[in-house]
Amino acid sequence: MPDEEVLEEGVLNPIKTEIQDPLLQAILEENGSPLAAPTELEQPAPLPDPVDEVDCVVIGTGAGGAPLLARLAMAGLKVVALEAGPRRNPITDYATDEKAQAFLFWNDERLSAGQNPVAFGNNNSGTGVGGSTLHYTAYTPRAQDDDLHLHRDFGVGVDWPFGIDELEPYYDELEQFLGVSGPTPYLWGAPRRRGYPLAPLPLNGAALLMQQACAQLGIQTSPAANAALSARYYQEGVGWREACTNRGFCQAGCNVGAKASMDVTFLPLAEAHGAEIRADAFVTEIERDEKGRVTGVVYEQYGVTVRQRCRHLFLCAGAVETPRLLLLNELALTSGQVGKHFMAHPGMQVWGTFSEDIRPYKGIPGGLISEDTHRPKDADFAGGYLLQSIGVMPVTFASQMARGRKLWGQQLRDYMRNYNHISGINILGDCLPHANNFLELAEEKDARGLPKPRLHFTAQENELRMNAHSEKLMREIWTAAGATDLWAYERYAHVIGTARMGLSGDDAVVNPDGRAFDVPNLYICDNSVFPSALSVNPALTIMALSLRTADKFLAAQARLDG
Amino acid sequence: MSAPVYPSGTVRALLATNLVTDATRAALQARLDAPVHEPEFFEPQTYALLQAVAARLIPQPDRAEPIDVAGGIDKRLAEGKADGWRYNAMPPDREAYRLGLGGINQAAQALHQQPFLALTEPQQDAVLEAVAAGTAPGENWQQLPIGRFFEEMLAELTENYYSHPLAQEEIGYVGMADVPGWTHIQPNDLEPREPKAD
Repeated sequence: MPDEEVLEEGVLNPIKTEIQDPLLQAILEENGSPLAAPTELEQPAPLPDPVDEVDCVVIGTGAGGAPLLARLAMAGLKVVALEAGPRRNPITDYATDEKAQAFLFWNDERLSAGQNPVAFGNNNSGTGVGGSTLHYTAYTPRAQDDDLHLHRDFGVGVDWPFGIDELEPYYDELEQFLGVSGPTPYLWGAPRRRGYPLAPLPLNGAALLMQQACAQLGIQTSPAANAALSARYYQEGVGWREACTNRGFCQAGCNVGAKASMDVTFLPLAEAHGAEIRADAFVTEIERDEKGRVTGVVYEQYGVTVRQRCRHLFLCAGAVETPRLLLLNELALTSGQVGKHFMAHPGMQVWGTFSEDIRPYKGIPGGLISEDTHRPKDADFAGGYLLQSIGVMPVTFASQMARGRKLWGQQLRDYMRNYNHISGINILGDCLPHANNFLELAEEKDARGLPKPRLHFTAQENELRMNAHSEKLMREIWTAAGATDLWAYERYAHVIGTARMGLSGDDAVVNPDGRAFDVPNLYICDNSVFPSALSVNPALTIMALSLRTADKFLAAQARLDG
Repeated sequence: MSAPVYPSGTVRALLATNLVTDATRAALQARLDAPVHEPEFFEPQTYALLQAVAARLIPQPDRAEPIDVAGGIDKRLAEGKADGWRYNAMPPDREAYRLGLGGINQAAQALHQQPFLALTEPQQDAVLEAVAAGTAPGENWQQLPIGRFFEEMLAELTENYYSHPLAQEEIGYVGMADVPGWTHIQPNDLEPREPKAD
């Protein structure tokens, strides 16, 4: 623990990092500390004045942290968000180039174990003001009520501690606020009070090919709901945002502002209401008093260690860094659930070559959706999945082709010449929690001297059956569309679970309002609290939970004040 | 279907136009203009071995000056950068590359009684086929999962290759020229700036 006297001044001596790699150590000694220094693309923000105590600190500015930050600021609370990554200007900093955008990803090394080690980095882990929403594809399907009740319906997994009626008002609010483009009426799920505020985005090559083939096979399809604007849209607290230009770069940073990442939606709204966002602020410690209440956090920023006191802490760092911080700080551990029941969505892909000239870099990558496979009649598994058409950028495609298809040499170059004729379909499927899938702290340290996280993931029987079912169906669809040279790529994406929400502190880390059972002023809000994985992309549900957690918190404060 | 052949020069021509943003141009032009990379991390002998392996995994007989795919690996390892994850079964990247390249040489010795660099191209391919299949001899493979190493190295070389503007020309990719946006996004519906295959 840091020295109390130094702490009084709000600025501590930098932590002496413990670096194991001798070469890295030599480089650091030679060059100072490049890991902590701002890059040439960003100017360091002036260090904030040490503030005595704020109402709330929010760790993480992604889909879990940003909506509630805005909500709390709008309620008049003094709030500070700490973001591990930098703040960028999308218009000037986001090249349309996959390598040049590597700064959007969480590139600190994570160790991937198990039979199906999950890829991180560009596979769903972002950093920077906006978090992973900076590079999510902005798919925003709603979860359906039965997604929250796998145990009730199938006797496996665990149910959410509430039904969809708790999320529905937030889904509705978010779709209107973000400006989701989508079909009205939506073909699947419960009827809705309102349609999507904007018309669907246009279908690209992959989407049209999938649409025609599915029509032949009797599978219903629809343009996907996507939080990229199909027309200019006025955003409360932000102003006008421009329409999508079909740039196709949604899996990286949008330089148009059409994609509803948090940096162009909730974060400006939060700042307009007085929230303070501190970039490049990496939290290392969560401090408590003798009663176990959180009193503040300690973070590193530009090589300096800073303490921020707070009355309440919202931990929204994602399903890897959230449990990592809890484990590092030995916080909220009594349920034994922190790090446990890590889930990753099956994201099986089938790729094919077409005679048509498709140009997979144009249009939103995932233009078409089907939820006919939400609960397939011939399923031999619990839960279900949805189907999405996929476009892809060349480096990402070539890389996973090399890994998955194992072509090399002249064969690799010959196959890649067909890039403009290639289209994919993928699934996004539910995943059951399993005791063998978990996060732990490794012995190996990162550049800050903190243990790296190690994640164990092995696809279980249910995931494997779902993969087999979906691969067969996707091959049928692509064959009907006229594709040749089909190949399937088994992958897992999105990190979910690890600090689950439930009715009792015996088997859950947070209660249905997102508050930690162990720590009265600690809230957790991100994909780590999901009790089950859902058979839809998680971002919209993370945001809905974020707004709900903020409202539950504000209501509880009002009761205390009243 | 035979693989499409695209005209050369398209990406370089686009870089000179205002269809490309400044940030995009800077990233791509830097790769076109990069000087010959001098190894910083690997010993010269090991670096020559990596280059020889890269030349078989991403062969470029059609290029007078091959795109440098090995230099990026040396540079990344020297800088101590990671891409966010690694297989738990693998040692840290620097150790993995040293062990893996050493293992390739051991396999070359065992299979052809010569170091990899001294082998003919078909012999080199045979060694790499054995590494890809996980059957290559060599004591280093006792410490390094052979399949994972091959996958990691191939993926990194492939990424370095297709990040280069000339490789992007080869496959007809012009997604970088996105300033006006794309309005013709249906199959077979090209914009004037999209090159057609011959």
